Amino acid sequence: MSLIWLRVAVLLYGIAALAVLPAALYNRQRWRHLAVPVALAGAFFHFVSITETFYAAHRALPVDTHETLSLLGLLLAVAFLLLAAKYRTMAFGIFLLPVTVLLTLVPAFHAGRETIAYPFAGPVWIFLHVALLLAAYAALLISLLASVLYFVQERNLKSKHASSGPASTMKLPPLETIDQIALKSLLFGLPCMTAGLFIGSVVALETVGPRFFADPKVLLSLAMWVAYMLMIFIRRHSGLRGRRAVYLSSFAFLFVLTVWAANQFSVVHRFKAP
Amino acid sequence: MSDAENKSGTLLLVGVNHNTAPIEVRERLAISTARLADATRTLAHQPGIREAMILSTCNRVEFLIDHEASGDTGREAENSLILPRFVHEYFAVAPSSLAPHLYEFREREAIRHLFRVASSLDSMVVGEPQILGQVKQSWTVAREVGAVKSTLDPLLQRAFSVAKRVRSETQIGSSSVSIASVAVDLARKIFGSLSGKTVLIVGAGKMSDLAARHLIQQGARTLLVSNRTEQRAEKVAAALRTPEITTGVIPFAQLHAEAHRADIIVTSTGAGQIFTPQQAREILHRRRNRPMFFIDIAVPRDVDPAVNEVEGCFVYDIDDLQQVAAQNQASRSKEAEAAESIVSLEVERYQQRRSARPAVEAIKQLQLSAEALRQQELARTVARLAAEPLSEGQQAAVDALTKSLTAKLLHPQLATLRELNSGTEPEE
Repeated sequence: MSLIWLRVAVLLYGIAALAVLPAALYNRQRWRHLAVPVALAGAFFHFVSITETFYAAHRALPVDTHETLSLLGLLLAVAFLLLAAKYRTMAFGIFLLPVTVLLTLVPAFHAGRETIAYPFAGPVWIFLHVALLLAAYAALLISLLASVLYFVQERNLKSKHASSGPASTMKLPPLETIDQIALKSLLFGLPCMTAGLFIGSVVALETVGPRFFADPKVLLSLAMWVAYMLMIFIRRHSGLRGRRAVYLSSFAFLFVLTVWAANQFSVVHRFKAP
Repeated sequence: MSDAENKSGTLLLVGVNHNTAPIEVRERLAISTARLADATRTLAHQPGIREAMILSTCNRVEFLIDHEASGDTGREAENSLILPRFVHEYFAVAPSSLAPHLYEFREREAIRHLFRVASSLDSMVVGEPQILGQVKQSWTVAREVGAVKSTLDPLLQRAFSVAKRVRSETQIGSSSVSIASVAVDLARKIFGSLSGKTVLIVGAGKMSDLAARHLIQQGARTLLVSNRTEQRAEKVAAALRTPEITTGVIPFAQLHAEAHRADIIVTSTGAGQIFTPQQAREILHRRRNRPMFFIDIAVPRDVDPAVNEVEGCFVYDIDDLQQVAAQNQASRSKEAEAAESIVSLEVERYQQRRSARPAVEAIKQLQLSAEALRQQELARTVARLAAEPLSEGQQAAVDALTKSLTAKLLHPQLATLRELNSGTEPEE
């Protein structure tokens, strides 16, 4: 049953991802009135699906990559809805909704093969470790998108043309607001990432021992945290905005993708079930 | 619509606007807000007029009336003289001097014109938002004096809905078309709300003073003035100072050192390039790269155009502002086409509803009479059976029976009325 709800969610996200295009690019209110409720309904069914899966399995943790991706997708959909409600902008949906569709499409139609076992520690700590890190990744993605949108809006204003193509007709929030979104999402992601890594490290230290910290995945994760801190420091200290902010955010995001990909090479951060 | 139909109509709209009459004519007909109630009352009390409303703005004076319809040609001719006679008597304007400038719409065309006016499609600046408020004000006044009732009231309320629909479904009013509002819009795109922002006026000219007032109106709260002549700067600062607005003077020699305090700089000295890219970079550095908006309304320009290339600086000179205003105007014209389609559709709908009204009334009346008759007969039967009263179940059965009988007996008449109303031939 949970799979049906997930498929319904994918369908609704797909419709919302299409409706958001005219709403954001051409500021069409009718499409906005379609995109937001449909995305909200998608998030609802997605939540129902995840809850039902966890409830049926008597656990509160994603046990494979697909479930983890699905959880990240839900976080991104919720982030889009929050941004639309608070800042009345659809622009983030152009990127967030298709990513959400992709993240939920695979789990909805293809069951995950790799099953993660959690042989140690209480499930609450592991859940917090996973959920906090996913929230940090989502925050970083939103910060990257905000930096790109800042750049687009800055180019529009500098080009001095009222209407020449979708990029200039796109209804974007003011530059200062976009900057605030970028910074706030980074500041939200920082404690999530710090706490997520800290919990993971303490749990690993207690169960695997110091050899855990020699693993490339773990080392990269710590480097990612340093890069994250550095990015916030540079942005706050020098007021970095525009093109250079896009470069910096892209660099940090690439780092996150590398850390994610490093799961494939990690020996100790795999937790495969026998 | 044929002429014959036109003549039988009861809605009549007569007026002058910026397209048909020069200001000399319009000002003779203009009615101040204080006199609007009296004028509307006087018009509504003219013989033959059932309802009336007057719309008086700087660009138009219009009289909308619902007058008594008559099939008699002589009476119709008399009716068509109501408004010219009122204008002549109330404004003391000779009808002959006004005739070349007047336009007149009846029935469907009057509805269309009203919808177009309320939707700002007939305005001098298409899409400007004030007109809807002005129509609403006229309607409020007319309601207060009892001049709008069952015909004009729903029509005006429909006009407001149409205007709202046009605003929400098209982009007709989304872009600014005056230079000052373009500048404010751009500032909003950069800073969001202007509340708490600091504006620096460089050069104490009339234009920059106007621009500053516009920015203050939109929420800017701190105003700095810098001018070669410091006394003049102090005079401008004093003139703009209010309990809510903080003003200050920056000596011209310290302009570059203090410019970082301002979010928006309005320059109008015409003294050549007083802000270069290098200076702009230094100012931005002192602001920790927070964006700055230069509004350069001077000719020759005060801000080097290359400053616009500096990341975080946005420079708009007078030509840029005019160009954006012109582009917005063009985009409004395009949106106006979509708005016209909405208006046409709404006119059709309203007209259909209007023509259906008599049939709907007749159906309602027929149903009410039948129900009254049924209740009367039921009461009589219950009274007759008082000796052996019916049980609750029996009463319900009799009630249902009479209802069903009434509905079946009425069905052919109601069907005929509905079909006649929808324009199709009734079934045999």
